[in-house]
Amino acid sequence: MTGYLLRRLGVGILMLLALSVLVFIMLRLTPGDPIDAYINPSAPMSPEALAELRRRLGLDQPLPVQYLAWLRAAAVGDFGFSTQRSGVAVLPLVLDRIWPTVLLMGAGLAIAIVVGIAAGIWGAVRRGGASDLALSIFSSVGISSPPFLTGLLGLWFFSTQLRVAPSGGMLTPGAPFSLWDLLGHLILPACLLSIGHAALIMRYMRSSLLEVLGQDYVRTARAKGVREVWVILKHATRNALLPVITLIGSTIGIAIGGAIFLESVFNWPGMGLLLVNAVNGRDYPVIMCATLVIGACVIVVNILTDITYAAVDPRIKVAA
Amino acid sequence: MRNFGCLTAVAICAALAGPALAQDKTITGAFDVGPGGFPKGFNPLAVTSGFMWLKTYYEPLVVYDAGLSELQGALASEVAISEDRKTYTFTLAEETWHDGEAFTSADVKFTFDLARNPAAASVFAGRLSAIESVETPDDRTAVFTLTQPDAQLLTIIGQVMILPEHALSQMAPESIATSDWWSTSPVGTGPFKFSRYVTDQYVELVADEDYRGGRPKVDRLINRYFENSAAAVSALRAGEIQFTYVEPDDARSFDGNDAFRVIEGPSWVVNYIGFNNELDLWDDVRVRQAVMHAIDRETIVTALYGGAAEVANCGYTAEALVPGGIEPYPYDPERAKALLDEAGWDETNGSAPIQWLTYYGTPQAANVMAAIQAMLAQVGVNVVPRALDTPTYNSITYKVDGADPAQFALNYGGLTFGPNPAQLNVALNSSQIPPAGQNIMRVRSEALDGAFAAALGETDDAQANTRWQEVCRVMNAELPWATMWVANRYGVVSSDLVDFVWTPAPGGGPYADHPELWDIR
Amino acid sequence: MTARSAGPIRRAAQRFAMNRQALLGLAILAPILTCVVTYDLWWGFGPNDIDLLSINRGPTAAHPMGSDGVGRDVLARLMQGGRTSLMVAVISVAISTAIGFLVGAFAAFGGKFADAGLMRFVDLAMTLPPVIFLLVLASIAGTGIGPTIIVIALLSWPVLSRMVRARLLELRERDFVVAAKGMGAGVPHLLLRHGLPNCIDIIVVYATLQVANAILLEAGLSFLGLGIAPPESSWGNMLNAARSGTVLEQYPWQWMFPGGALVVTVLAINFIGDGLRDAFDPRSGLN
Repeated sequence: MTGYLLRRLGVGILMLLALSVLVFIMLRLTPGDPIDAYINPSAPMSPEALAELRRRLGLDQPLPVQYLAWLRAAAVGDFGFSTQRSGVAVLPLVLDRIWPTVLLMGAGLAIAIVVGIAAGIWGAVRRGGASDLALSIFSSVGISSPPFLTGLLGLWFFSTQLRVAPSGGMLTPGAPFSLWDLLGHLILPACLLSIGHAALIMRYMRSSLLEVLGQDYVRTARAKGVREVWVILKHATRNALLPVITLIGSTIGIAIGGAIFLESVFNWPGMGLLLVNAVNGRDYPVIMCATLVIGACVIVVNILTDITYAAVDPRIKVAA
Repeated sequence: MRNFGCLTAVAICAALAGPALAQDKTITGAFDVGPGGFPKGFNPLAVTSGFMWLKTYYEPLVVYDAGLSELQGALASEVAISEDRKTYTFTLAEETWHDGEAFTSADVKFTFDLARNPAAASVFAGRLSAIESVETPDDRTAVFTLTQPDAQLLTIIGQVMILPEHALSQMAPESIATSDWWSTSPVGTGPFKFSRYVTDQYVELVADEDYRGGRPKVDRLINRYFENSAAAVSALRAGEIQFTYVEPDDARSFDGNDAFRVIEGPSWVVNYIGFNNELDLWDDVRVRQAVMHAIDRETIVTALYGGAAEVANCGYTAEALVPGGIEPYPYDPERAKALLDEAGWDETNGSAPIQWLTYYGTPQAANVMAAIQAMLAQVGVNVVPRALDTPTYNSITYKVDGADPAQFALNYGGLTFGPNPAQLNVALNSSQIPPAGQNIMRVRSEALDGAFAAALGETDDAQANTRWQEVCRVMNAELPWATMWVANRYGVVSSDLVDFVWTPAPGGGPYADHPELWDIR
Repeated sequence: MTARSAGPIRRAAQRFAMNRQALLGLAILAPILTCVVTYDLWWGFGPNDIDLLSINRGPTAAHPMGSDGVGRDVLARLMQGGRTSLMVAVISVAISTAIGFLVGAFAAFGGKFADAGLMRFVDLAMTLPPVIFLLVLASIAGTGIGPTIIVIALLSWPVLSRMVRARLLELRERDFVVAAKGMGAGVPHLLLRHGLPNCIDIIVVYATLQVANAILLEAGLSFLGLGIAPPESSWGNMLNAARSGTVLEQYPWQWMFPGGALVVTVLAINFIGDGLRDAFDPRSGLN
């Protein structure tokens, strides 16, 4: 197990390095000049000052040298300064934004998992009934609705029509921290984020459970007189969960995407908002760092998913 | 000789307000750059906007009054200008920095030496080039010596926030620009002290107990940043903030609402369609005239600005600066077509698409550009609006080796023309073509250069307006740029605020808004 | 000489015709497509006809979906926007399908090193969440129809290439392929004569579902202001207008109609795609 873990980690680190090369090359292939982001629109700099700035930022070196310089600095946590904000270092800026996103995604996924699995079981048990039909319609529409649209609708309905939800942000600024305040801001975007995932999880759970319910050991359990509720919850659900866990692991990436849009709509101070702003302002250091941090998170989550899978499914033996 | 001495009255007012109230009073607003993301800068030498917010914790030597009509004392209690306009003598007010050190003339000298140093990434370096030296005969006096008279110098000085020598002098000028001092522990002389910056969220200031104008009436001032104006307006309605800039549409939605007060004022920014004068496309003045005649500016002002804009026929709209008898370029598509025919437009360009760049990302600007696009299409000019982020816009328009016609043939933007009319020089004088200045339209007009030179060098105040009228007349006749209108700008303030002063000054002023007197019910 | 004769395809078509959900999808999509493609022949307003005297009006008889901030007809923009969105989606999917098939096929037929290299590259491209890649690519490509097509096309091929590779690896060992190789057939011949026909079901299903996905990606990019830029209309940039509070709150018809069109179209395409998948492979209920 340890050897497997180490190998997975090693591959992960290699992937991360390859990713950094890829992102670095892509960003330096841009039509514009990275130095432009340092020029104030209404106050151009003299050519001497520009050359000086270029030299200080290392932008006059060949690409591989620039990459190695960047990598050396990155290894000790120095990702440079945000070009959009004066004198703000990139790494703390990006790290600050992880927790809000993790909070939003965590809450959204938690809701999605609970609702999705419950609805999936319900749909499988009431197969063909009216509630099953309603749930599948919800699921189809949920999968087809982009998160920014559900975000806009949610904002419109709860914030401007009912006026029960705050207009955005994570905390009321200036107010002392309170959990209620945080939850009040969190609940709407988290619920909206969960819609698409709940729909997907429900669909998987339903068909997976239906398949399991048709198998011999379930029939055996029933034949032994085990109560139906118990058959479904204990025997069938546990096995039906396996593909769903894989699904949840593989949708983390999609969840990050959804979170980006909802953060934009709700002004939620997470990685998504940071990245969208950085892309709009061509803030290269922030784009690089945020992309790599997100990549690292996804790699870690993938490893964790594999481990969870191994733990839940006794049939899988991790070969060293 | 000008004399400023209005601070006594302020001090008395503040003293009457009495000691600090027991409860913690906080004013929160979207003060700085308005909605549109995070702070563009904390370094007052590197910014061109947000001065209104910076002035709550830093102060300049002199400052405009809230009506932007004349300059008055701030950190300087008095300024004397010599007959030949080449010596400015500032008498400084008594004040201490927020960290307790005394404010002296050495700080003034340090600040202006830094502001004139391009290595410090100062945006003022070019505009302060008339200053030859800053001398400090004693602690309370600073003397500026100029190489030549400069009509806009005092206006520029009014934007230079005085910085503490004791905190910054040990840093190299190059590292000052990127230091995190600005956003973590800045020290100023203003009525509020910097407390903390929560990255991209808000900046919190606390009252400076010993401010010379009296302790501020509120304990904390918070500046929040919003992703877009929608979020700021919702926060305002929800009572989370007490003030924000708003779009005209949003301003109208507050009409008749007693809980809020809408503040409206001219923006001092003229919106224009800029021709890339380097291209042959625009060589014929009849083509440029046709563009003016093809656009129904009156209807756009009525429909898209709700009437809250004034049509501009040159770079100025103030009555004193616009001479009589200039061409009003009325909406006349037939005349526009005729002019284009005469100029042989079908041969020079015809219906080929023309890239029309802007850095405006607002829905208002998108609507205006869509309307103009349709109007120009009517007379046979096919423009394609393209909204860019500021860095990309700059990379295209400021390209030193001439702009690429495929990328930049037209632009839509705004230029600040006041309160000092000299501010247009940097964008239209042929000596200001990038990289020297902001003349991205590459205007090369001897007549306009001459008019600017005469106006900038004028030493007789009585003659100044006539000189600026000449600048206006040349712009109107030669049309190096198609001036559209000057729109009003809006702020909405909660009725809970007392004695709150705000004016839609370009770049946020600064102006004498006396934050120490603001109060909240 | 193909592995699957016309028989299975006919059977698939029959199964598809029996699938009520898929038929519903077709029934929804057909009128939308017809309107979007032909609207300029029968609808009186153009997408860029402004009318400054009637801006921000709610739905009326003349403008069934109201007018926008410069008095343009929302219905006309909706249909033009659909044309843009669908065109971007279809072209980008065509490109990404071609890339995906070629990468997958070369990995399968091109030898051990090509396989290892290409598949590691695919792994890498799949590490990042798609939207992150989308943003990074968009920051490089800029806005406009061309760049948006390229960005979406570059993003969507890895999954297909994996599926194609898996199918062709299986195929590679079959007798007729081994025979063709033995007779000296080159890689292009193998791809076109044996590879493509044997992957056609994967490709059709993938491309259909990916069109729905691409519509959503385009809308997302344009919503963030990184895709199709106004005054060109697309469903995404019509939704972008709702980022202004005034439009969101006071002129809901300007964003709810394009939002509705987006969801309905994507839903219909998903129904058709699911139907196609079930038709080609009746056992694939789980995926």
